[in-house]
Amino acid sequence: MSPTLNWDGLDISILGPACLAGLIVLSTHVPLGKQVLSRGIIFIDLAIAQIAALGVISAGFFGIDEHGFGVQIAAAIAALLGAGLLAWTDRRWPEFQEPLIGTLFVLAATGALLLLSNNPQGGEHLKDLLVGQILWVSYSQLVPAAILSALLLAFMWWRRGRLSGLLFYALFALAITASVQLVGVYLVFASLIVPALATAGMQGRGRLVVAYAIGALGYASGLVLSAVLDLPSGALIVWTLVACALLAQLWPGVRRSHRAHFTADVAVASDG
Amino acid sequence: MKKPLLFAFLLAVAQSTPAHAKIAVFACEPEWGALVQELAGDKVTIDVATSALQDVHQIEAKPSLIAKMRRADLVVCTGADLEVGWLPQLIRQSGNGRVGTGLGSFRAADQVVTLDKPQQLDRASGDLHPQGNPHLQMDPRRVLTVANALAARLIKLDPANATVYRQRMVDFNGRWSAAIKRWEAKAVPLKGRKVVVQHISWVYLFTWLGMEQIGALEPRPGVPPTSAHLSSLVDVTKSSNTLAIVRAAYQDPKASLWLSGRTGVPAVALPLSVGGDAQAKDLFGLFDSTIDKLLAAAK
Repeated sequence: MSPTLNWDGLDISILGPACLAGLIVLSTHVPLGKQVLSRGIIFIDLAIAQIAALGVISAGFFGIDEHGFGVQIAAAIAALLGAGLLAWTDRRWPEFQEPLIGTLFVLAATGALLLLSNNPQGGEHLKDLLVGQILWVSYSQLVPAAILSALLLAFMWWRRGRLSGLLFYALFALAITASVQLVGVYLVFASLIVPALATAGMQGRGRLVVAYAIGALGYASGLVLSAVLDLPSGALIVWTLVACALLAQLWPGVRRSHRAHFTADVAVASDG
Repeated sequence: MKKPLLFAFLLAVAQSTPAHAKIAVFACEPEWGALVQELAGDKVTIDVATSALQDVHQIEAKPSLIAKMRRADLVVCTGADLEVGWLPQLIRQSGNGRVGTGLGSFRAADQVVTLDKPQQLDRASGDLHPQGNPHLQMDPRRVLTVANALAARLIKLDPANATVYRQRMVDFNGRWSAAIKRWEAKAVPLKGRKVVVQHISWVYLFTWLGMEQIGALEPRPGVPPTSAHLSSLVDVTKSSNTLAIVRAAYQDPKASLWLSGRTGVPAVALPLSVGGDAQAKDLFGLFDSTIDKLLAAAK
């Protein structure tokens, strides 16, 4: 870490697109994260992202243009196929869903390595897909992501958050495929899990508001700190997201709900 | 009342900034930062984006990088797709129109003939650089060619200091040409010796010194080598009186230590850029250290 503070990078035109990208990712990931947590399948985002990357590498074999829109279509199709498979296993073997997701993740990741041994250039795309860098985001890249997020949010609102297995997995696959390329897999995981986890005991609209606030503060403070301390932005935002989630526990409304949740669980357990 | 005040204020600002602002140089790699330092001294400010201890194919995005790119008047990079993973995004993100193309954009690989330029593009052949191998800083003769072009560029960009750049180029040319003679004399025992490399970063060095690369641990970067490749590499390394297994300072030593343990051939870490080891403090130290380390392996 550099000992001197760095005020150069503290510039809205540098941090603005990144901050907006974070807010767009949060907009869908906070409500989805709630579902991921309640379904107990927290590593699904890693699996879906890896499957999307596998789709892109396979697309290379069919001669699909590697920089065009075809890559996005290939990634989305692969992610949707993976989502379909997971929705099916969820129905068929619900008790094994988490280990099945883990298995699918390692299969997709190593499948990519096997395919890449014949197509080394695909390695660049694999990296691009999995380690999107939040600072390199431009406003023009954000337009399609924003439109997709708005559509997904409208759909979720229309369904009042009731998403059956297949619908949830399909929605999730599309959201993850878009967000991973913008901000990378670490930030996608953190955006999905950390706000939802910090507010796990809360209910209804209040939970959503607090979770959004934690997410937005996490991104904003992470970007500012990464500029001032001259540290990689994506990695630092993961830490500030968790810091904001912990700070939120100081607020009685959030903390108390955890205790209520905990005692309710115990009560349920002793009932059964 | 307000207008004269504003005018006076602007005048004061104009006077407080120097009439001739220093040229700001953004160097992608430390070797080019060091070369600009040799050629321009304190007439320019230099920001170096990477260190010798990191893989310049990919870097982590930091806000300060965009800020540095934004104020740059001249961007000095290797080119030949070495920085393709991040430099285009960085320039685009900075919105700095002076350095995208033209006078403010200098690529070392455009100034010299590159080696390993593929005759035809074949996607299966690995980390393919259609413009040739980018690691040209390891040939001091090419560095001299780059230096001449860079000095000419500095003179065009900053004509007010032209005499300084010209003098420093003459001075550098003298010291560098003498050093090349010294290095070539010193490296005579290395001629014809065979080496195995971790990544194909050394073709310019070996071509210059008349050494021969007989194999690579990582023929396709990012893709683990197959067991068939490794077993043939062990055989080749053992049977060819191999001098050393060479890797760059930033690379994980695991692979070269594995091969070294199996073959008894010493594994050597070379700086590859300025700052890669304690001796490589500048461009001269870079070659002093590289040749000393190879000679030590030959003893």
